Amino acid sequence: MDEKMSIMVVDDEEIVRESLFHWFKKYGHVVETASSGFEALDKLAKYPFQLLFVDIKMPEMDGIELLEKVKTEYPDTIVIIITAYGSTESAVKAMRIGASDYLLKPFKPDQLPLVMERISHQKKLLFEHNYLKGRLEKITRFDNIIGQSPPMEDIFNLIPEVAQSDSSILLIGETGTGKELVAKAIHAKSRRAHLPFIALNCGALPDTLLESELFGHQKGVFTGATHARKGFLEVVSGGTLFLDEIGEISPKMQINLLRVLEEKKITSIGSREPVDVDFRLISATSQDLGKGITDGSFREDFFYRINVIMIDIPPLKKRKEDIPLLIQHFLEKYGHETTKQVDRVTSDAMELLKRYDWPGNVRELENAVERAVVLSQSRTLGIKDFAFLRSSPVPLSRPLSLQEVEKQHIQQILEEYDWNVTQASKALEINRVTLHKKIKRFNLERRD
Amino acid sequence: MSSQKKPVGVVPLGEVPEIALKVIAAHISGYYKLSVQILPPLEHPEYAFDERRFQYNAGIILKAFESMRFKDYDKIIGVLNPDLFIPIFTHVFGEAKQGGKFALVSLFRLGKNPDGSPSPSSLIYERVAKVALHELGHLFNLLHCQEKRCLMHFSGDIQDLDETPINLCRYCSTFLKDRLLRQSDNEESLKKLDKIPLNLLGSKERFRQ
Repeated sequence: MDEKMSIMVVDDEEIVRESLFHWFKKYGHVVETASSGFEALDKLAKYPFQLLFVDIKMPEMDGIELLEKVKTEYPDTIVIIITAYGSTESAVKAMRIGASDYLLKPFKPDQLPLVMERISHQKKLLFEHNYLKGRLEKITRFDNIIGQSPPMEDIFNLIPEVAQSDSSILLIGETGTGKELVAKAIHAKSRRAHLPFIALNCGALPDTLLESELFGHQKGVFTGATHARKGFLEVVSGGTLFLDEIGEISPKMQINLLRVLEEKKITSIGSREPVDVDFRLISATSQDLGKGITDGSFREDFFYRINVIMIDIPPLKKRKEDIPLLIQHFLEKYGHETTKQVDRVTSDAMELLKRYDWPGNVRELENAVERAVVLSQSRTLGIKDFAFLRSSPVPLSRPLSLQEVEKQHIQQILEEYDWNVTQASKALEINRVTLHKKIKRFNLERRD
Repeated sequence: MSSQKKPVGVVPLGEVPEIALKVIAAHISGYYKLSVQILPPLEHPEYAFDERRFQYNAGIILKAFESMRFKDYDKIIGVLNPDLFIPIFTHVFGEAKQGGKFALVSLFRLGKNPDGSPSPSSLIYERVAKVALHELGHLFNLLHCQEKRCLMHFSGDIQDLDETPINLCRYCSTFLKDRLLRQSDNEESLKKLDKIPLNLLGSKERFRQ
């Protein structure tokens, strides 16, 4: 029992709670007590206790009911049942539900240290299991790109293959799908991995500035050019250049880049001396470049030059099976960054997150989880923690009636205000009585 | 470890062999280097008798101690003949609240070997000393130790107790020394505080807290 544990003693008898409390304190464990099942669940929602000692006979919620709830909501929590009125039936039932041990009060003094030793061993096994699970998870992660859906697996397989060649790559995918992550992964797997990776968002820069950034300039060629500057095409020397939102660049810039790709030489602004360049180009776009070619805004020859290999990154709505994995990853990430003990999402909330269309893709999901973790008062995120998502428009299968819209809106406002009728009625600008009548008429109930 | 000012009090509850009290006092003085006083006996703790278990509830006795005046003593060890229990355990050899002031030692189970045969008196007194030093360790905030060769290792039965050495391991020994040193520093600071005129401190009591 070398490891200090967080333990909660749940018993309606104060004398038992105190005895166990002081006993565990003598081992330096973090100990908390609860006099009822409800109090225990309340405390468990706020702090991840590793071990619970639960008395069977308690008023309102007995130990078996508490055990069932704990094992459903927090399966990793170890529960030991203690009772003064032991029976084979209750012991079998408790063990079947998931109790780790069943002890008869009073225990022999040497019994408890043995149980704790066994629990410590069990925890070590659990740790090993989680470690192996973590290693398995790495298989579903590829250089920070997370997914286990078939399209993502195809991409994971493709990355090392395309990384070996020097051909230009075009990544297509909606905003927030992780195009830059894929570009970085390709660079990391390529022979250029030890050389620079430079990312530039073409959509964020005006044409003249983009030209100067890419090609560099000589001193004094334009106002503000106080000294000569090398462009990224030269700075990247030997590495990978990632041009995001390539569909945004002007036809003039397309010609300039096309020439660079063909000749592998650049001439900085204001210079006549061409310089040799060596880089691998990865471009990305969220636009339909085919449409640009048709309407003449995107050059066909440039398109074929940058599109030797095309990787289509699916939007999140087409790989919804990855959502739980991504959520778990972001919970761990933001739980660690914010040092908040938020490690779970209720099944209702998970359903909501899976149903949602995620127009902003993985980036939007990450932001949603981060916001929920930061604002959460509990270790479990529920529907109300993601209430802000429901305000986003979701395509409807049929037009809603005015009454349905009213019902949905009232439900949403109530959830947002945690069913505080006074606050919700203020937000809806109706009085409380009217709101109560509408709740009754629409048969509204709390979702979480 | 001898800088502690107030002594440890060893108090019999009811009739207790004087030799047991002397053994405890000598061991506290010898092993922990603390000053010890044997106090006049208190009444037999009939109030703590549990009729269902035919044992004495250690928690009730410790609570009763809290209402008694032992202000001249740093820690108090109560010694008694009857069998002690705490609600979760069938019995205990001794009991103390972690970091508290009062501890108990029961002689009831220390006189017999694991096979039920009577033990020689030298072994009985060694056990008495071990239980007292162990419980006193808890009063100085020592935790149960993982090291089997340490007095603070938990002993569930008489065999465990016999296998447990009377010495603290290096870690627990260092911890205890540090604890006693800090306690004596605090006492010195409070003593200095007493010499400062009240009007310079505002509320002296509040400052002490």
